[in-house]
Amino acid sequence: MIQDSPAKITIRDLRVFHGQEESLRGVTLDIPANQVLGIIGPSGAGKTTFLRALNRLNDLVPDMHAEGQILLDGKDIYHPAFDVVALRKRVGMLFALPVALPMSIYENVVYGPRLSGVRNKARLDEVVERSLKAAFLWDEVKDRLQMSGLRLSGGQQQRLCLARVLAMEELEVILLDEPCSGLDPISTAKIEEALTILKEKYTIILVTNNTKQAARVADETAFFLMGDMVEYGPTEKIFTVPDDKRTNDYVTGRFG
Amino acid sequence: MRIPPKVTQVLAVALLGGATLLTVVVLVFVIVFVLGKGLPEVTWEFLSTNPKDMGRAGGILPTLVGTILLPLLAIAIALPLGVGTAVYLTEYTRETRVTRALRFGTDCLAGIPSIIFGLFGFIFFVVGLKMGWCLLSGGLTLAIMVLPTIIRTSEEAIRAVPKSWREVSFSLGATRWETVLKVVLPNALPGIVTGVMLGIGRSIGETAAVIFTAGSALRMPVSAFDSVRTMSVHFYILAREGISTEKAYATAAVLIISVLLVNLIAYGMMHRFIARRAR
Repeated sequence: MIQDSPAKITIRDLRVFHGQEESLRGVTLDIPANQVLGIIGPSGAGKTTFLRALNRLNDLVPDMHAEGQILLDGKDIYHPAFDVVALRKRVGMLFALPVALPMSIYENVVYGPRLSGVRNKARLDEVVERSLKAAFLWDEVKDRLQMSGLRLSGGQQQRLCLARVLAMEELEVILLDEPCSGLDPISTAKIEEALTILKEKYTIILVTNNTKQAARVADETAFFLMGDMVEYGPTEKIFTVPDDKRTNDYVTGRFG
Repeated sequence: MRIPPKVTQVLAVALLGGATLLTVVVLVFVIVFVLGKGLPEVTWEFLSTNPKDMGRAGGILPTLVGTILLPLLAIAIALPLGVGTAVYLTEYTRETRVTRALRFGTDCLAGIPSIIFGLFGFIFFVVGLKMGWCLLSGGLTLAIMVLPTIIRTSEEAIRAVPKSWREVSFSLGATRWETVLKVVLPNALPGIVTGVMLGIGRSIGETAAVIFTAGSALRMPVSAFDSVRTMSVHFYILAREGISTEKAYATAAVLIISVLLVNLIAYGMMHRFIARRAR
């Protein structure tokens, strides 16, 4: 598919090194706005490394560094002058395991807005309601917002984490790192439903171990294998007539 | 030849239980012995009046005040320094030879006999800086003495905060400092309080370092540059110089009860704090 509008994220020959090891070996990819990009591949393929390069969370790992270029709206996010804190407010992330912070549901959701300096109680209340509704959690928790987030079930915690990301007013891109790997089918369905609605407003990148999930949710899909991006294209094509034999083997379940 | 598992099981329970029992018995004996000898002498008057005749008669009010002020001053100095160091070592530096050397140094410092700190305090603060025997010299010396304990316990507590919480905080656009303030320190607090309690306990019980630096004046301290005597020192002097065995035991009884109170209050505060967060 050829994009008419410029890509939201442009990636040029991205290489990520973990010590001596090259975990990502030159990825070039244009990620269009307002779509769900699915990233599939066996474990160790570099999917998570790729995702964490996009919000520079890899920076926190001592001997990790990236080469190449990642442009967000045309601006190089690895440029020394680029504000990494501002980047992470624009590029939110949902982790594989739900991590509610040890504070109330309410405080979990307003964590980002408070950091951005929002003090107005009415505005925070409004953010909490909007975000929890968008994450399909509002009805379950609206009467106990002061309860600790740690007391929610795993599926609820993951939706709380989604709400926490959505609460950031600067948010433009959502990164999801196997967000449903530990969840039951109903919670998974709720997250997937949320994603299909959210893509109207945000650019979504979904790493998943579950190829069926990519087939259900993603508009475009990229297949990663051992640090290389093997193939990238419309989801339908990747799952029916992929160009590369390895992609075909993977999506038909012959390995991985 | 093998002893049947049933027998080893019974033996293990007996030995472990015995060890526990012995520990508790010794502890209870010490407390009951001191309280039994000391408590009859402890009256309101004993707590609220000044000593007379070097402590042969009268009360222990100035030493009670000294016992409260000196550890408080020590902790007030050591807590920000210690927690600050711990945060720096865990959050702001990577594990290198330098941090390992610092940690090793801290551990060594924690094991140095208190009288060495007393000697240092005497030479540096009392004589060198011409501060004399006073509350401030003593507080500074005790602060240096408890600093390693506070650093190490804080460090352990900070390390125990899950890495994933920090990652989430960073991923939501927090700076390292904001992450420290909002996620790391609140959750490390119980461990930090434990370190502070250990520090207060050590300060309250300290004699050698205190005599060298805060002196042993029996007057009521009115400024940071007055010499003070703590209950531990008072007890030591009463007993060592044979001034009054009864008053010594009474002082010891008050000392034990104070330490118990401090611990109870700290645990109560911590409990409320945790309960408030985990609602």
